[in-house]
Amino acid sequence: MKKILLSFIILAVATQGCKKVNESVYDKYSASEFYSSPKGADVALANVYSQVSGNWGTGYAGADNCWYDLNTMSSDEQVIPHRNTGDWQLDFAQLYQRQWLPTSVIVNNTWNWLYKSIYTANLAVDQLQQSNAEASKIAEAKVLRAFFYYLLIDDFGSVPFYTDNNITVDKIPQASRTTVYNFVVKELTDNVDKLTETKGGVYYGRFNKWAGYALLAKVYLNAEVYTGTAKWADCLAACDKVSQGSFSLHPGGANAASPLGYQYYELFGDKLPEDETILAIYATADIVSRNIYALRSVNGPNGVALFGFSGWNGTIVPRPYYDRYDNADIRKKQYLVGAQPGGVTYTADVTSLDNPGAGPNEGIRGVKFFPVPPQNGSGESNDFPIYRYADILLMKAECNVRLGNAAAAKPFIDQVRQRAGLGALTSNPSLEDVYNERGFELNWEGHRRQDMIRFNKFLLAHDFAPAAPAFRLLFPIPTSALNANPGLKQNTGY
Amino acid sequence: MKQVYLYKYGLAILALLFSINAFSQSISYKGRVVDERNLPLPGVSIKVKETAQGVTSDNAGNFQFTSTNKGPLTLNISYVGYDAIEKSILAGQEFTVALVPNAKSLSEVVVIGYGTVKKSDVTGAVSTIGSKDLNPGSVTNPLQQLAGKAAGVNITQTGSEPGTSPSVRIRGITSLIGGNDPLVVIDGIQGNMDLLTQVPPSEIESVDILKDASATAIYGSRGAPGVIIITTRKSKAGKSSVDYTANTSIDVLPKGLKTLDADQWWQQAQLYNVPASANHGSSTDWYNLLTQTGVTQNHTIAFGGGANNFNYRASLSAILQTGSVIKSNYKNYIGRIQATQKALDDKLTLTMNLNNGINNTNYSPTGVGRESFRSNLISNAYVTRPTDPVYNTDGSYYSDPNIFQYINPYAVANTVVNENHINSLFGSLRADLQLYKGLSVGWFGSWRKVDGNSGYYLPAASTVSTAIDNQGIANINNYHNDEKLMDISLNYKVNFGDHSLDAVAVYETQAQTYNGNFAQAKGFINDIATYNALQLGDLSKVTPGDISSYKNDRSLVSFLGRVNYSYKNRYLLTASYRRDGSSVFGVNHKWGDFPSGSIAWKIDEESFMKDQNIFSALKLRGGYGITGNQQGLSPQGSLQLVGYSGVTYFGGAPITNFVVSQNANPDLRWETRKQTNIGIDFGLFKGRLTGTIDAFTATTDNLLFGYTVPQPPFPYPNITANVGSLLNEGLELSLSYDVIKTQNTTLTLAGNGSLLKNKVLSLSGSIAGVPLNTNYVSWGINSYLIEGMPIGSFNILQHKGKDAANAETVIDQNGDGLIDQGNQSPDRVIEGSAIPKYTYAFTPSFRYKNFDASMVWRGSGGNKIYNTIRPSLSYFENLGKSNVLESAVPLGLYTSQYSSDLWLENGAFLRWENLSFGYTVKTEKIKYVSSLRLSLTGSNLLLITKYTGIDPELNVSGGSGSGSDGGIYPRTRTFSLGLNVVFK
Repeated sequence: MKKILLSFIILAVATQGCKKVNESVYDKYSASEFYSSPKGADVALANVYSQVSGNWGTGYAGADNCWYDLNTMSSDEQVIPHRNTGDWQLDFAQLYQRQWLPTSVIVNNTWNWLYKSIYTANLAVDQLQQSNAEASKIAEAKVLRAFFYYLLIDDFGSVPFYTDNNITVDKIPQASRTTVYNFVVKELTDNVDKLTETKGGVYYGRFNKWAGYALLAKVYLNAEVYTGTAKWADCLAACDKVSQGSFSLHPGGANAASPLGYQYYELFGDKLPEDETILAIYATADIVSRNIYALRSVNGPNGVALFGFSGWNGTIVPRPYYDRYDNADIRKKQYLVGAQPGGVTYTADVTSLDNPGAGPNEGIRGVKFFPVPPQNGSGESNDFPIYRYADILLMKAECNVRLGNAAAAKPFIDQVRQRAGLGALTSNPSLEDVYNERGFELNWEGHRRQDMIRFNKFLLAHDFAPAAPAFRLLFPIPTSALNANPGLKQNTGY
Repeated sequence: MKQVYLYKYGLAILALLFSINAFSQSISYKGRVVDERNLPLPGVSIKVKETAQGVTSDNAGNFQFTSTNKGPLTLNISYVGYDAIEKSILAGQEFTVALVPNAKSLSEVVVIGYGTVKKSDVTGAVSTIGSKDLNPGSVTNPLQQLAGKAAGVNITQTGSEPGTSPSVRIRGITSLIGGNDPLVVIDGIQGNMDLLTQVPPSEIESVDILKDASATAIYGSRGAPGVIIITTRKSKAGKSSVDYTANTSIDVLPKGLKTLDADQWWQQAQLYNVPASANHGSSTDWYNLLTQTGVTQNHTIAFGGGANNFNYRASLSAILQTGSVIKSNYKNYIGRIQATQKALDDKLTLTMNLNNGINNTNYSPTGVGRESFRSNLISNAYVTRPTDPVYNTDGSYYSDPNIFQYINPYAVANTVVNENHINSLFGSLRADLQLYKGLSVGWFGSWRKVDGNSGYYLPAASTVSTAIDNQGIANINNYHNDEKLMDISLNYKVNFGDHSLDAVAVYETQAQTYNGNFAQAKGFINDIATYNALQLGDLSKVTPGDISSYKNDRSLVSFLGRVNYSYKNRYLLTASYRRDGSSVFGVNHKWGDFPSGSIAWKIDEESFMKDQNIFSALKLRGGYGITGNQQGLSPQGSLQLVGYSGVTYFGGAPITNFVVSQNANPDLRWETRKQTNIGIDFGLFKGRLTGTIDAFTATTDNLLFGYTVPQPPFPYPNITANVGSLLNEGLELSLSYDVIKTQNTTLTLAGNGSLLKNKVLSLSGSIAGVPLNTNYVSWGINSYLIEGMPIGSFNILQHKGKDAANAETVIDQNGDGLIDQGNQSPDRVIEGSAIPKYTYAFTPSFRYKNFDASMVWRGSGGNKIYNTIRPSLSYFENLGKSNVLESAVPLGLYTSQYSSDLWLENGAFLRWENLSFGYTVKTEKIKYVSSLRLSLTGSNLLLITKYTGIDPELNVSGGSGSGSDGGIYPRTRTFSLGLNVVFK
């Protein structure tokens, strides 16, 4: 028995000290150490901007199946019809026909993207504050957060509201549209002046003071839709602040070196011109973000002939929209109709959006974002303008008209028209003139749904859909969000 | 050496005694015992019934004894693993007896992990399959040898792609996060399922499958999904042999899906207004182009020998398979050597094992096709229009530029390189030292290294759009796994009076390290170098994600002990306890305890059973145990870490973007499975009818899962935590009846069946105060995890018909005029689950003299399959760019905005798994051959099912997407010829 006892003792001794099962990490950083460095704070802010970049199912614009598609295809400016050759699912036609559902992938992606962005912005605000970062950086993160909340109330109305990630879901109320609107206005007015005034360089693609005021102007512009109380004068004031950033319209004239033969189209190319661009999304295909909009529109052989890569034969421009353009308008050059390189002839009319679907070559195509390299069959490197000065001018025109000062509005609208190769208006602009000019100038830039709602055009019947009921002014809260949080109330009508 | 001398002297004395007896008219009897392959069997016990004498056979299988009895005498010949036999012997007659291995008794010894017990002393639920009972024929993975052989062990293979392994689930789905694969133990070396590819099928001696927790708890945190223990062939002392085993099969494809031919397609196309421009005027049978008759070959040469204190065995195997889809093939070479040496007066036993496997596979590309239809090549062959030509007039592969992301499947098959090379090496050393009577100490160490390398090249010629855009994409993926295990064990065996005790205590450490790297290049001038020279690509095309590497590790420290106690050889008790510490858990929950206990009562040993002759064996068993799961959880899951997430533009330049990859969860801990098992083993009518019945109930608690959390405030819609619970209950029966059992003829009817009930008990709760509302979790298309329902329950809209525009309509269950497609929609109804409710197998065998035959029929049912690929091949909205099934024509559906139960099908099937004939050639007159056996096996001979897809046998992993058929590699029907020669 002694031997037995002895061997147990040996075993016990041998195994002592071998009891540790700690985990080693070789290929990642520890969060607490990482963000406490100054470099880490920058990275936290950069991470919020990465949310703005477009990739499939996420981002503001540049790619597909997220915010951009939701807010453009539901308007009258573009749609992807189902083709009778079997291409393209019905999601986009559903948006155009205003038949989207709470289960729609694009609605769901937009919601998830925005709330992941809110989380990321909250995280950045928290990390920047903890690391005592410069006030301008903290302000920048807060302005970004306000930007996302503005997008949320614009699409969804009353939405869950929180500013601290360390919180449980029962503490996140579904705040009314007005409450969130008030938060956005306050957050912007408190922080915009802390932002840098520098344009371009290290601030390209970032919120500087001018971009901050452009955002504030947008929020005021739609205040009546959000709260019932118009803020036209406040909008004008914010636009005037933007003007202090000495912006001007980029020249529009013919230039063989520019895309589509006009300097105007440089506004939608690579590294958007600083004279007019206020806030842009930087894109380099396959590296950061992407821009698919021209590629997605043209068909295969036409894409190869025009820019070397097979097109997707997707987006078309509805004929009524195209027909409103004046033939002298250089902005009409962005549309392709009739015989094209690559041996294809696009017909202007689309016979069917869903069943049996459009013929393969039906529909007018749009190449506003005429591809710039690097590019391939899944995207181009065109940057995307979120805010540009032409928009500010048209906002000024609109506010003046709405405030009963049409004469003051005229020069703003004329500037935009003359740059496009058109003459000045012959009389003072009406609201309809402003609305139309916004349509000519700002199509495919993500403004159309908001504009149609503000001008009471959104619910009207159009070429492929009857008049829509008022609940369609808001998108539904996605079913998956309702499932996960039973405290949420669906928008009426869904 | 002592024993040998003793033996020799003993024999001499014995001989002397006999010679003295000879004076009193003693007669000499001589004989020889051989095994089924005509090889001598040493150590066989021979008892003379009339005289109660006993002798054993020597190394050459010979025995002799003398008796005054003139005979004939009746000999009772028995040997472990063989049927005992009664034979009469006449003096002076040449007498050779061949023993037949008995499937049931072959495994008189059962391996239970860290030790063995006699079959009759097992207290847990363990299935044992001897080499004789393994499925014959064309085998590329040992699991295929086990299909249908053990109750409660469901082995399925999705299609017959070379290089892919079957999946196995023992007693249902234990976990949702993964880690449902059983632990594999080969001669003491523990590993994942891929360890099985390193075992030559013909070198398996026996397989033991530990099913209930009282048996698996000894493996603690790795035991929850069950344990498969494989024991390989060893050489026996005094026997040396050279074996050659070969098997060659022809693999053909049974019927595929019926799609439209060119004429039918064009006829339909015109009806649906498909433009004439979509008809390219050819008539191509894409399925036929992409398939061929496959060939599978297995060759093993094995040799070994030994003396009393030394033995060795070495083998070299090659498994070579040419797939039934063109360009897919598999080559597996396994070399192994095993040696045992005794020393220190036989007190020390050293056993060393070395095994090297080289595995080269060319996979058929998967995940190809247009964005809306990504599947394997065969599915793409079905989808491609029959009117499309294969080649352009210039000889290049045809592609239709008017179709978004068109692919030519034949071009993909011929031009894409998708190779995988794995070199795995494992070795082990076991040292057992006897310290004291009954007490021994053991040391065991094993080390496995797997070095894998895969190369992929997608050339522009493949017609795949991303390849055209990038002018070729090439990548190389290298990975290295390093798995070490070391244990120190103490073993004590003692018998005193009616008591017998066998106790083992073990300290064990395991360390696993995984690292690897990936590199990709794009833009190649030509396709000559494929993926072999990434530097030939256009380096300006390098994008984020083209270069990456990783490293992580995990460790496990365990203390375990087990006691097997028996009283009067009637009452048996097994108790085990294991304490495991794992690095992958949260800092607060690293350690877990896994106790188990089981008892058995051998009723047949009781005195009151002596006078009956109905039961030859009767044993009642019961056990309870707790096991854990940690293998399904990836390392680093409990820590808050910052990792790479692409590139973002900031500060005027693209910079690396970092994100918090997950939230810290210091409470992340073991998932535990509590299982109770009751079983009965019986033998009736002198052992002609034997059987086992087991009933079990198992509950998995602290269920690891990605629980749904609300967004906001969470950045991702789910979080890994321990919240819910899961229930599996089952009943298993296996029976074997010897209808005929004579010297020359045996006919055995055998089979097994099991019933399984599976239920998600709960998914909700709270994590750190955050209430979770996880229910109706999507688990595949129309498949959900619903509290109170089986895993993967189909909650689905019911097909109604079609509207005037031929769009599908579904039933509005609640009549509110709206079809709600949400997960919890009242318009959905529950229509069964993806998990089979019952499985069964029928495995009769027959032997007449040297001829034998066996077959396996097996089936399962009670499950549904969502035929995901069928709607894509049925809606006429796709007709302009794709082909449709013949069955789509009468349906006439143009489109559907739903995925309804129209495509939900009954998954029940009965498969004639195999039929095998064997003939053992008489070799007495062949000079160098001691045994020769030929066999002919047909596999997958018949399939009876209502399922309309390629094959109803899909993955049973229980993971997300199980029960959905997104297109599989077809399953072959094989006809194989086998040969086994043993040289003298």
